This record gives sequence, structure tokens and C-alpha cells, in this order.
Amino acid sequence: MTAPLISLNGLTKRYGSFTAVDGVSLDVAEGSICGLLGPNGAGKTTTFKCLLGFVKPSAGSIAIEGAPVTPATFESLAYVPERAALYDNLTIGDHLTLYRRSYKNYDEARARELLALFDLDARKQTAKLSKGMRTAVALTLAFSIRPRVLVLDEPSSGLDPVHQRNVLDLMIDAAANGAAVLFSSHQVGQVERAADSVAIMKKGKLIVNSGIDELKTGEKIVEAVFAGPVPSIDGLAGDPNVLRVEQVGSTLRVVTRDDSDAIAQRIFALHPKSIRTIDLNLEEIFMNAVSGDQS
Amino acid sequence: MPTIFTVDPRSGVPLYLQLIEQIKRAVALGTLAPSEQLPTVKALALELTVNPNTVARVYRELERDGVIDTSPGRGSFVRADGAGTQARRAVADVARAAFEGAVREAKSLGLSRDETQELMARTIARWYETEKDA
Repeated sequence: MTAPLISLNGLTKRYGSFTAVDGVSLDVAEGSICGLLGPNGAGKTTTFKCLLGFVKPSAGSIAIEGAPVTPATFESLAYVPERAALYDNLTIGDHLTLYRRSYKNYDEARARELLALFDLDARKQTAKLSKGMRTAVALTLAFSIRPRVLVLDEPSSGLDPVHQRNVLDLMIDAAANGAAVLFSSHQVGQVERAADSVAIMKKGKLIVNSGIDELKTGEKIVEAVFAGPVPSIDGLAGDPNVLRVEQVGSTLRVVTRDDSDAIAQRIFALHPKSIRTIDLNLEEIFMNAVSGDQS
Repeated sequence: MPTIFTVDPRSGVPLYLQLIEQIKRAVALGTLAPSEQLPTVKALALELTVNPNTVARVYRELERDGVIDTSPGRGSFVRADGAGTQARRAVADVARAAFEGAVREAKSLGLSRDETQELMARTIARWYETEKDA
């Protein structure tokens, strides 16, 4: 692995007594896409704002391409905020002109391609655009500078399914060309497709930070049905590979982080009527993580 | 490449395992012919809308399993000897995974070892007899 293009180390942001971001450490490597998930108010947007230097962190450090954030960072960094910031009295084409004058990496042909991809008319005034089209303009601008680092806050909000897929393809294309992408989404399916690593935030803390394959391979539910009441299993709840133990009637459900086979064997030794191991998809892993009590 | 692969991101099975299984199956069935070139990592990632590192991992593991060969600058190819041993092994891999799933299911439903073996024997008898009759 090469040095990460995005690196957060112990990032913390307090507003008075409220801690919006609490000791977040996260790296995104060259050619990698990290999907950031979390309920509203988990601290995703504040993390992005700190990362970009818009908000001063209370503690911790940030490095983009191995260096602190300076105006020069933005030559190769693109940020798409949740609500696209556009000049209402300008046309889409005027925005492209601004970018041409401001960014030396601006690629006019690429920008035209992106306009066509999102079915945007350069002559349109941005004030008249729908939320989804505003997002599309912001994405066009972001990708027109062929950035090395992409920070995208809900990049497909308001877009139709076809254009949502286009956004994923743009991220994939950028990563295949060596960019690092950090994006937040409420759509777990998008993260599942586009991301190779998953970060989950809850109440300011990073509660999951893992490769997506490792996460899905590791986390499973072992479900056993017993003839009578569920027998007690020594040390199960304290096992480091057990995330949660649930009991409903004669059914035992154990959420495992790793080594579900060993746990299944232990339960099997108690002669359940049936036992099965259930693979979890990312949405279920996400729900388990944010509804659990491990924060 | 004429073969169309699909991934199901809503499945609990990681995408790279889904793809490895499908490509092995295609090699076993001959829909991916020996020496046939596979798309580049980037092209397949964009075609399927999946992460490029996921596709890169698929190619690495297929190479390790002897199903494909990757040479820098030239690309990835189904192994020329794929028609022989590698394809047989790929078939066995796919079949073994299906068997395992079936046996796990039987066990989870509370069937005994004998009952499962009996079921398996009957199934084998049925399918292999049918083949001989045909």
C-alpha cells in the first residue's frame, strides 16, 4: 500500500460541551474508495468540513497527499457538499468558465462530457435548477479538474437512479486512475458497490473502519433453535468475536465478528434442533452497528 | 468478452467471491474459452459498477488458483491449459460450494448424518441414472 492520500488522525471537533467529531482516525489510500455511513447527526459533514479546513478541529491532525491543507491542496482536491454551492445568477456555462480560470488542471473536454452525461444544458441559469440538477452541476465541476482527492457529501442526493449510477461510475473511474475517494451516503447499496472500505460513524465516533470484504466475510449471525429453553453458554457474551447475543423464546441469535464457525460448533454441542449461519449484507451490518450499544 | 457477469450487492456474500464463482463457472462451462482475454480491471469495474480493487482482488485470486494468467502490459487471459486440469478444478470448486450449501442446509434443518447421506445417494442415483438412460 502506498501512503494514504487522505489521512485523519484523532480528529476531534467540540462545540461547547457538544462533541460533534470524537477522535476519528481514518486513511484513504491512492486508488481506494471509502464509503462513510452514519445516521443524521453522526458527524459526517463536520468531519468533511474539518478535513477541508473549513472548520478548525479542536484536536487531531489532517493530511491530504501527505501535507496539511493549504489553498494549494484544492488544485487537486474536489469537494461536493450536500447542498451544492452555486452562483444563482450565473449559468452552468459561467460556472465552467470560473473553473477554467481558477484551476490549472481544468479539462474542458471532460467538463463537456460530464454535462452530457448528466443531461445538463450549459445555457441554463443555476437558480432554475432542481436539487438533483444542482448536485449534477457540482459533480461536473468537481470531476472536471481530474482531482487526485475527492470528498463527496451525499453525492447522489436528488439524482434519478440512472444518474446515481453515473456518479458511482465516476468515482470508480477516478479510483481506477489513482484518486482517493471519500464519500458519504445514506444508500448502503451504493457503498456496497463502489467502496472497498467502509467507515461507520455514530454520535461523532468512528465505530466501524474496515475493508468491505473483511467486514462482510467476518460478520454473521449464528441462529439456533432449541427444543426447550435456550441453555446458558459459558462466556459467550464475553467472547471478543461475539458482538451481540439475542434470545427470543427458544431461539438464540449470536452476531459474530469473526470465526462464526467456532461459535456455531460451540452452540451445536448443546444439541439444538437446528442451527444455521446467516450471511449479513452491509445494510444489516450497518443497522447492527448503529443500533448496538457498543458506543 | 461475451459473458455477462452480474453482482448482487444486497447479498451477504462479498462481491469478490460472487465474481470469482461466476468466472470459474464460465471457464468450466467454456463460455470463457482457453486463452480468451479478460477485460482490464478498470473496464470490468465500470461495466459492473463495482470497486476497481474488488476486481483486482478477483483477478489476483483467480491467478493464484491457476484459472487465469496476468502479464503486466498485456492483460489477463484464461489459462491456455484451462480446458484440461484448471477447468476441471474450477468445475469441482463450483460443485463443491453447491454441495456444501446443500449439506449445511440439511444439517441446519435438523437432518441426521444418515438421513443426509441417504438423500444425497438418492439424488446422485436419480441424476446419474437419468444421464445413462438418455
